[in-house]
Amino acid sequence: MRASNDAIAKGLFLSCAGASAIITSAVFFFMIVLGFPLFEGASFVSIWTGKWSPYEGLYGIGPMIAGTLWIAFLAVIISLPLSMGTSFVITGLGGVRLRKILFAMVRFMTGIPTVIYGFVGIFLLVPLIREYLGGAGMSILAAGIVLAILVTPTMVLFFSHSLMAVNPSHVEAARALGADRVQRLLYVMVPEAIGGMTTGLILSLGRAIGDTLVALMLAGNALGMPEQPLDPARSLTAHIALVKAADYDSLEFRSVFACGIALYFFTTAAVIVVRIIGRKREGMA
Amino acid sequence: MTRSVMEKLVTILSWFMVCLLCSVFLVFVGYLLLKGLPAFDTFLVFGHVKPLEAILGQARVFEGLFPAIVGTVYLVLLSTLLAVPIGLGSGIYLAEYAPPSTKKLFSFFFDILAGIPSIVIGLFGFSIAIFLHKHFSGTIGPCLAISAMSLAFLVLPYIIRSTQVALESLPNHIRKTAPALGASRLQNIVYVLIPRALSNIVSGIILSIGRCAEDTAVIMLTGVVATAGIPSSLLSQYEALPFYIYYISSQYADQTELSNGYGACLILLGICAVLFILAGCVKKSLAYRSLHRI
Amino acid sequence: MKRLPVILIALIFTFFCLTSIGLSEAIDDFVGKKGTIKIAGGTAHIPVMKEAAKRIMTRHNNIMITVAGGGSGVGIKQVGEGIVDIGNSGREPKPEEMERYGLKMHKWAIDGVGLVVNPANPVKALTADQAQDIFSGKITNWEILGGAEHSITLYTRDESSGTREVFWKKALNKGSISPKALFVPSNGAMKTAVANDPYAIGYVSVGHMDKSVSPVALDGVAPTLKTVKSGEYKIARGLYSNTKGDPKGITRLFIDYLFSPEGQQIAADKGFVPVK
Repeated sequence: MRASNDAIAKGLFLSCAGASAIITSAVFFFMIVLGFPLFEGASFVSIWTGKWSPYEGLYGIGPMIAGTLWIAFLAVIISLPLSMGTSFVITGLGGVRLRKILFAMVRFMTGIPTVIYGFVGIFLLVPLIREYLGGAGMSILAAGIVLAILVTPTMVLFFSHSLMAVNPSHVEAARALGADRVQRLLYVMVPEAIGGMTTGLILSLGRAIGDTLVALMLAGNALGMPEQPLDPARSLTAHIALVKAADYDSLEFRSVFACGIALYFFTTAAVIVVRIIGRKREGMA
Repeated sequence: MTRSVMEKLVTILSWFMVCLLCSVFLVFVGYLLLKGLPAFDTFLVFGHVKPLEAILGQARVFEGLFPAIVGTVYLVLLSTLLAVPIGLGSGIYLAEYAPPSTKKLFSFFFDILAGIPSIVIGLFGFSIAIFLHKHFSGTIGPCLAISAMSLAFLVLPYIIRSTQVALESLPNHIRKTAPALGASRLQNIVYVLIPRALSNIVSGIILSIGRCAEDTAVIMLTGVVATAGIPSSLLSQYEALPFYIYYISSQYADQTELSNGYGACLILLGICAVLFILAGCVKKSLAYRSLHRI
Repeated sequence: MKRLPVILIALIFTFFCLTSIGLSEAIDDFVGKKGTIKIAGGTAHIPVMKEAAKRIMTRHNNIMITVAGGGSGVGIKQVGEGIVDIGNSGREPKPEEMERYGLKMHKWAIDGVGLVVNPANPVKALTADQAQDIFSGKITNWEILGGAEHSITLYTRDESSGTREVFWKKALNKGSISPKALFVPSNGAMKTAVANDPYAIGYVSVGHMDKSVSPVALDGVAPTLKTVKSGEYKIARGLYSNTKGDPKGITRLFIDYLFSPEGQQIAADKGFVPVK
């Protein structure tokens, strides 16, 4: 009786796990199947690099890939020093009370909905950029800045956890040798935590690539290939959100699935890179 | 010499970054409060209708946030109902039953699922809706049920991961006690391990609830609309708070609507803050209670 | 405290029930119909749709009308695929679309599409050539036209928009639109965007124009309700509500309502030219 209960339970749990894994593959599968006619109709290369002009029969998502990469990389470049500085203060440079307050503030920020960041960005940031830097206001820069603020709290948490996970005896040894806070941080903690920090960086990049609302609300959604940060751009994610219009059988709509494939590819690549780094670190340890 | 210069630089820059981040946070919250608090009255939520009548369903609310709030509540309830059993089961399997190679494989899959952008999940849900529409019944389209299902996909990896981590972080001696007394694996899980890990599991579930409440990309593609009233069935379209905020930001007709938008931001922020604090409290209180059951 | 989960579930269940009870126990009006009408598509139609829906729903408690946007292309496709009951479009459905889906169109108003700029912009009139040069990206700064020294921000709609199609065909003479143009998803969004950006120019349904934006005269004719009605302003289109086949049941009631004196009055109030 007990043994069969056990077996049933195990089977139940296994089917849950299996179902979840199937969902992951199903998403990819659906993208490929529904996007497939696109690869038949037009040349494979032009999909990824060409421009988007349905009237002319062109369904290239090149500008969108460029838009996504511009915005995501800008966001991470802005976020990196912010996150490093904040995590340094949280894990070493600050006093105990300050650390707690900062940590709580950062954790709270991770819970702020994305749409609210976008909302404030539209009314606060865009007019500023438009007046003082020129251009349309809605730009890669606007989206990049707000996305950086969105991504920083998660990166800070990652960096802080990695730094705090460093072997305390190493830190104590450095302290015994006379190293002050900064020195312990720079020469002992960071080098040991660099693997975890890189993981955090890459996952945050993945998050920035996958974000929809910030780019949709702040980058202007123009169709041209962006050339500088003040240019408007359209990300892959915003493109999917905007092109609900068409015919479910049309090539225009199916190009949305090509966007889905590109996104799936980018974020899966990030996950794989992180796993490879993790394995290397295990090898070293 | 250069070493100490670099150290000083790092110190100064780090403090500068902290100040920058804090001021951004304060400006952000301050601006929302400034613009949103003036909008807080019954008109914001119920429009021209009396609150009691709206709640009892006797009168329809056209200008207020009530339908959006109800839509969000239904959405969160449904998606949590769908995601929790499967997520819990998967997490238990990974933590307790899976052999190491299977565990690695599944973990890999779930990491990928966690990394999939929300709009892609929405697209997936939308394709399922169209598929069902074409091959099963013409009445099925993007709707509350499809959205709830898609949101469940979205938060599934988080529930799995928090359940798995919660169970795996239990100390070994607790794991071994019940089996040593003759309990089966299942009994061990149900009567010993889960109650112990419950606080962390519930905390993970609450954070997933927050994720469902705030998500916009998934619902945009799977059934949310700007004007729908209170959803009458699982197959109907609905309104939701985050979508309302997005919609207002791009097309507000007058200052009242914009004001309402800020008010909606505050309400959504409030909901997420409450869930966040709740998750923290649950962690502490359940841990306390389960320890005192010994 | 042990009872807490049960109490919680009971509360949630009660909440669930309460919000549905009112709808089903409401006293029927003399028309006594019930059901749902799903409407989607053209964004120019939305103000009229929302007002009509509100009036019908307050009068008849068992009827639910949902209104979504998406643009003319979405409206036609979704009604054709059976996802919605009424698909609005700001352009006439093409013959292929009519045939493929078996659509019936119902034109209940005429609407103009005009250029708009921010009220702070001194430029209030343009020639057709100037408009084409602005939108194609040849003219990039307001200075040249007598405005402020700042780059021109172009706003446009996606290709499935009926509003865009009319404007592109008749005002821009099918000229190209700059790749730097910003995209907005609806007429309402276009209005908001131009109202918030001092250096913006866009095109919007005449019915949507209000004090927050300034209409721009094209070749001497300003886009107003009067000039659209008289035919002097030529960039106009019909507002259509399309159904798959002949409308039945409450859908037919809604379409009839749009053509009724009350419905046509709503169209007039919202800035369109009623057909009757």
